[in-house]
Amino acid sequence: MHKNLKIMETIIPKTSTVLGALLKADFTTLWRNRRAVVMVFLVPIVILISWKDLVAKMGGPFALSNSLTYGLIAIGLMGYTNSIARDRDKGIFQRLRVAPAPNWTIMMSRIFVQLAMIALITTAIFIVGYDYDKITLTPTGYAVTYLTAIIGGAVYLALGQVIVGLIKNPETVNSTSRLVYFSFVIIGLFGGMGLLGKQIGQMTQWSPYGTVKTILAAGMTPGSWTMDTTNALLATLGYTLVFAIIGIKNFKWNTK
Amino acid sequence: MDNQQPESILKVTDLCVQYGTFKAVKEVSFDVRQGEIFGLLGPNGAGKTSTLSAIEGLIKYQSGSVTVDGHNAKEKPLYARAAMGVQLQSTSFQPELKVSEILQLFAGIYGVKLTNERLSAILKDISLEDSASKRFGQLSGGQQQRVSLVISTIHNPRLVLLDEPTTGLDPQSRRQLWERIEAIRERGHAVVLTTHSMEEAESVCDRIGIIDHGKVITIDTPQALIEKHKNDPQVIAVSRKGRVTLEDVFIALTGKTVRA
Repeated sequence: MHKNLKIMETIIPKTSTVLGALLKADFTTLWRNRRAVVMVFLVPIVILISWKDLVAKMGGPFALSNSLTYGLIAIGLMGYTNSIARDRDKGIFQRLRVAPAPNWTIMMSRIFVQLAMIALITTAIFIVGYDYDKITLTPTGYAVTYLTAIIGGAVYLALGQVIVGLIKNPETVNSTSRLVYFSFVIIGLFGGMGLLGKQIGQMTQWSPYGTVKTILAAGMTPGSWTMDTTNALLATLGYTLVFAIIGIKNFKWNTK
Repeated sequence: MDNQQPESILKVTDLCVQYGTFKAVKEVSFDVRQGEIFGLLGPNGAGKTSTLSAIEGLIKYQSGSVTVDGHNAKEKPLYARAAMGVQLQSTSFQPELKVSEILQLFAGIYGVKLTNERLSAILKDISLEDSASKRFGQLSGGQQQRVSLVISTIHNPRLVLLDEPTTGLDPQSRRQLWERIEAIRERGHAVVLTTHSMEEAESVCDRIGIIDHGKVITIDTPQALIEKHKNDPQVIAVSRKGRVTLEDVFIALTGKTVRA
C-alpha cells in the first residue's frame, strides 16, 4: 500500500524553539498591525502634549505618570484583549494547540509582545515628555519607571484577561474593553484631580488607575517613595493577582 | 508474501466524551493503520468532531483511551500531538502572516528546521511558489486548503487528521486535494478523514467508520459496506437510479431525518 516510509521519529521540540517561533509570528503580527498600535499610543501622547502648561504646576512626574497610565490601560484593554478575542474566535489558538506547543507558551508569547509594547510606550512617553515639556528624570528614575510600568501594565493585562475570560464574543469584548478604557480615562482625568468630589477622588486613588499612577510617579522620583506608595504597590500586585485568577480560571480557548 | 497487518498508528478504545449531561461520544473504538485512509462519517452532531477533538487533545474525554504511535494521549499529550498532523475544519492562521511565515511558524513549533531551499520546495509542491509573500487571507479557498494540508505534514507525522478538508472546494480543487491525500498515504502516513461527501469517502478511503448518536455503527471498506447492505430493504428504499451507493447505505443506517 505504501511505497516509501520516510516517517520521522516523534520529536518534542525544545520549548525555546517553540517560544521563538511563536514570538517571531506574534511580533510580525504586531508590526503588520502598526496602525492599531499608533492608535493605542495616540491618547497618552496627546494628553502629555496638551498638559504642557500643567507640568510647571504639577510637576513632570505627574504628567508622565498620568500619560503612561493611559498608555498601559490601552495596551492591556485594547491591544491584548482584542487580539486574544479575535484569534480565539478565528480558531487560531486551536490550530496552535493541536501542535506540540504547551498552552502556556502560546500565552507567554502574547504577554511578551505586550511587555515589549509597554517598554515601547514608556520610551515614547519619555521622548515626547522631554521633547515637548522638557521633562527629565534621573537615570535611576528612568530605570525604576520601566520596572513600575511593567508592574502597572500587568494589572491591565490581567484586567483584559478578565474581559476575555468572561466574554466570548469578540464584538462584545471590543465594546466592553473600550467602555472600560474610556471609564478609566474619564475617572482618571476628573476623579484623580478631585473634580468629582473628595470621595470619588479617594476611590480613584485606590482604584487600579490610581495605584498604578502612584507607583509610576514615585518610580520616576525614587526619593519620594513613601509608605503610601508601598501600599499602592501592594494594592497593584493584589489587583493583578485577583484579576489574573478570575481571567485565567474563566478563559476558554474557543468560542464554541 | 508478507501477510502481516500494518501497524496500528491510532488506537481509540471505548472513548467517551460528555458535555455536561450530554454524552456526545459513547464508547467509540477503532484503529487506523499505517498507510491507510480511514474515513469517519456521520450526520451533523453524530460525534465525529468530538471524537477528533478528543484525539487532537482539544477536549478532555471522560473515559477510554487514545493512543497515537504508542503514546497515550492522556499520559503523554505532547508526544501524541507531535506524532500527529492536523487540519482543522476551518483553516485558521493569523491573517497578517504571509504564507512563508506561516510555514516557518509551524516548522518551528514542530521542531523542523526549514531552510530556504526546503521552503521553496514545499511551496513549489503545492504550486504556490509565486504566493510565498501573499498573506494567507489573500489566497483562494483551494490554495488555503493546500497550505493547511502541507502544514499538517510538515513534520512527517505518523498520523494525519483531516477534518472535512474539501468542504467548499470546486471539483478541480477537490480532485487535486484527493490526490494529495492519497500521496500522503503512499508515503506511509495513517490518515483519518471526516467528510460529508460519500463520493469522497468511496473514492479515497480504504476503510470507513460510520458514527451516529455518539456510537460507531459499522466499520468496513466502502465496497464491503455496499456489498453487505445492498439487499437491505431500507437501502433499496432509499436508493436512486437503480444502483446502490455508499450514500444509500449511509442514509439507511443513519436515517433520513435532517440533523441540526
